[in-house]
Amino acid sequence: MLTVEGLRVAYGDIEVVHGLDLEVAAGEAVALIGSNGAGKTAALRAVAGLEPGCSGRVRLAGEEITGLPAHALARRGLVYVPAERRLFGAMTVRENLVLGAHPERPDRDRLARVVELFPRLAERRSQPAGTLSGGEQQMVAVGRALMRRPRLLLLDEPSTGLAPVLVEQVYAAFARLREAEALTVLVAEQQVPAALQLADRAYVLEDGRIQLTGTADELTDDPRVRRAYLGLT
Amino acid sequence: MALVLDGVAFGLQLALLATGLTLIYGLAGVLNLAHGQLVVAAAMVGAVALGAGAPVLLALGLAVVTAGAAAVLLDVTLLRPVYRLRGQARVLLSLLLTLGVAFAADGLLVHSFPFTRLNLSVATPSVELLGVTVRSASVVASLVAIVALGGLVVLLRTTRVGRAIRSLTQDEEGAQLCGVDPGRTRRLVFVLGGSMAGLVAVTQGLVSSVGATSGLDLTIFALIVTVVGGLGRVSGAVVAGVLLGVVHAVAAFHIGTVLTFVILLVAAIVVILVRPSGILGGAGS
Repeated sequence: MLTVEGLRVAYGDIEVVHGLDLEVAAGEAVALIGSNGAGKTAALRAVAGLEPGCSGRVRLAGEEITGLPAHALARRGLVYVPAERRLFGAMTVRENLVLGAHPERPDRDRLARVVELFPRLAERRSQPAGTLSGGEQQMVAVGRALMRRPRLLLLDEPSTGLAPVLVEQVYAAFARLREAEALTVLVAEQQVPAALQLADRAYVLEDGRIQLTGTADELTDDPRVRRAYLGLT
Repeated sequence: MALVLDGVAFGLQLALLATGLTLIYGLAGVLNLAHGQLVVAAAMVGAVALGAGAPVLLALGLAVVTAGAAAVLLDVTLLRPVYRLRGQARVLLSLLLTLGVAFAADGLLVHSFPFTRLNLSVATPSVELLGVTVRSASVVASLVAIVALGGLVVLLRTTRVGRAIRSLTQDEEGAQLCGVDPGRTRRLVFVLGGSMAGLVAVTQGLVSSVGATSGLDLTIFALIVTVVGGLGRVSGAVVAGVLLGVVHAVAAFHIGTVLTFVILLVAAIVVILVRPSGILGGAGS
């Protein structure tokens, strides 16, 4: 579904991603794990079309999408959910969700389906998104992305700002979504255990380079991963 | 009562003037100091067309289209470098650029049309309204403003395009992630804001007249109303416009026209001190 070759991202003169190669097959969930500042966010932003200065090749389902702006990628079904969520705080939850499928006409069935996935949103429907709790805002952000029936969902640190129990809930929702909709997911995460539980495969990113790759099970058993990211010995 | 009605009529013109400015600022981060010149350009085109014998509605239509087109031209040419910057840097560069445009346009307009004025005050009968006699031209101008402002609010609140505009105003990156094309939506908003300025030429032509030198005053009025209403807030601009219109009318009657600008500015300062984010308070649009 997604093929990334030689992706380089720089902020000013400082390069933070040094030639990243990465692949996500259709229906697969892939985790991009690494510590804070490893370049995960920069890589995802570049794939999502938010870093116009990046270089490298990006293909979506075989189609060249390098250099396309973010809104064009969203319309093609590559939908990015940033860690800061970027909701429209003064607009209602419903409006936020409906915007997820812009410029398509609001689809009632889809809206009902998304609300069914996150029942909390039904109660909050007419409330401004800015008044919601962190967990609820994360639900709106993911729900907004799902409104489009994404071909590829890019999730950046969905655990940000959430209590551990909520992290579990959010990841449980992702697991359900994978089953229900055969969703293809690339998730960047610092909370490595949760991400490895969801993912089929993972890449370990350090200082802007892939250090290690393998299936989620392999990496869970890898002594280096256990030491650095799982807090185990 | 007559004073209040006068004030509301003037205030609706102010609201129309300021919504165009605040809409563009809210979405694009550009505070257009040449907004008054858009009104004047529209007025001059309208006046020339009328002078050439064009039917009134065609002439006024041309006037409105001129302002909308001039605004979008500004967006796709001179303002291009502005959009590479974000936040305060963008606002600052836009201020400098549009100030330059305002000076250049002012010079060009005054030089080309030194004696032209758009004046639509055909002999209009007066009508009774709430027990007060008012000029029907003023009623028509107010109705035009109300329809335009109402139409804008309906567009913003209920249509997909309106939702896209509001989403961009609140979070540009979030909107892009939802598939909203920022460039296209911005051009649309420049057309809308510019056309509102063009309508001000029409309504002002109805109640008094617009000459080539009116640009700066109009920009200043628009800025005061915009700031009092809260930068980027359409509903705030409408409320602030009507309120300041009434203040203006009352001050002009009881104190004299010399001091009305000063009093307006004092009113603006008081509002800003009490409610720094605009008359309706809070954030967002």
